[in-house]
Amino acid sequence: MEVIDRYIYAVTQRLPEQQREDIQRELLSLIEDMLEERISTGQASKEDVESVLLELGPPNQLAAKYRGYERYLIGPMLIDAYLTTLKIVLTSIVIGLTAVFMIDTFLSHSGKLDPVTSYLASLVTGAAQGFAWVTVVFAWMEYRQRINNAGNSSRNKAWKPSDLPLIPDAKMKIKRIRPILSIFFPIVVMVICLYLTDLLGIWRYRDGVLTSVPFLDNDVFRRYWPLLWIVAALSITKQIVRIIVRYRSSKLLAFYIVMTMITTMLVCIMLADKTLWNPHFIQDLTTSSLMSAEGNNFKTLVSNWPRVKEWLVNAIVVLTLLDIIRESRAWYRAKSSPSPITKQKPLV
Amino acid sequence: MADLNETILGLLSELRRGTIVIGVLSQLSEPRYGYSLVPLLEEKGVAVDPGTLYPLLRRLEKQGLLESRWDTNESRPRKYYLLSPFGKEVYAGLYQEWRKLVASMEGILTDFGGGV
Repeated sequence: MEVIDRYIYAVTQRLPEQQREDIQRELLSLIEDMLEERISTGQASKEDVESVLLELGPPNQLAAKYRGYERYLIGPMLIDAYLTTLKIVLTSIVIGLTAVFMIDTFLSHSGKLDPVTSYLASLVTGAAQGFAWVTVVFAWMEYRQRINNAGNSSRNKAWKPSDLPLIPDAKMKIKRIRPILSIFFPIVVMVICLYLTDLLGIWRYRDGVLTSVPFLDNDVFRRYWPLLWIVAALSITKQIVRIIVRYRSSKLLAFYIVMTMITTMLVCIMLADKTLWNPHFIQDLTTSSLMSAEGNNFKTLVSNWPRVKEWLVNAIVVLTLLDIIRESRAWYRAKSSPSPITKQKPLV
Repeated sequence: MADLNETILGLLSELRRGTIVIGVLSQLSEPRYGYSLVPLLEEKGVAVDPGTLYPLLRRLEKQGLLESRWDTNESRPRKYYLLSPFGKEVYAGLYQEWRKLVASMEGILTDFGGGV
């Protein structure tokens, strides 16, 4: 009976390799025994087989009983934070792409054949990217957690009540809106950067024609996309951890600082690459007659243009430092301010 | 509020889960294959479905309470399970505990039960 083999296959596929053969043999003999009980003589009918399989239940449930534990990609501990993050990320991506679509249509610049179709296509790919990154990050956290738990249970004997973590103070709580905005803005900015690279530049509207001189070299920038995705994934991870932990602590602060420094460094490495910038920027400016080759404005620009990149990198470093200082101060202030005992609810 | 019967059934299956282990161990002082235990237990009023019994037998074997061997002499190969020496000791201990448990539950239920 083919359906029996399919059932047994469906069960054993969900089990560890080394147990499969034995369980397969045992299940087969069980099913034959059960069939024999239903029919005293002759061949088992299709209905008999089906009723036996129905009695054994869905293959995934039977396999779960054999395994003795449930398998998750993202377990009950993390699922709420996962869904929250997924909502934020997907919303940000949709808003970002919609902004790109509107700018694109408004400028009727890209010359795409069908802007609506390409908008829908970018929605699908963008959402898929966001979904994949968030899921990968959470699956990794789940995996780490399981390993930690396994380690803890083997050390269970040494457990002491004094090991219990302190109940987090209400004032150490991170306002939820912060990580949410910190996920939202980078994604929107990144989506705009990725889809409208050639729009990042100087614009001029003259005689009904829009001309632009882009800042970046599109081809070189494209090579940096994977790096940008990594930066986005790291900064989202940073915020996800804040959403899950929810309370300030020295450990969380250290994690935040390390992650911030890594992402800033990656961005600065990219921006410091000389080939990233449009090599013909000054030439393009004059040829597109956005700016006359004479005049003080032009001279200041020419003399300052090479330094703009340095300024940008410096500005990013300063902003990062300010961010780190602000987070550290928020942590320090929360830690050192007296605990509002009166706020605690009475036990009875 | 949840359905009365559903609640009772849910709690009952929790209660039964542990008793099935004792029931199975009690029958395995001689070798038996999995499916032969189903009617044996059922006629004594302990219903167990094969989808629960088979994984349980494997688990008990893994814990060292049962030993198993394949019998391929008959028309159909079957895996026979038998209490291991360790399993016998465990069963003897469980048996004592179960007797005590029944006695104390009996005491509680005769003193306070029925007076709902």
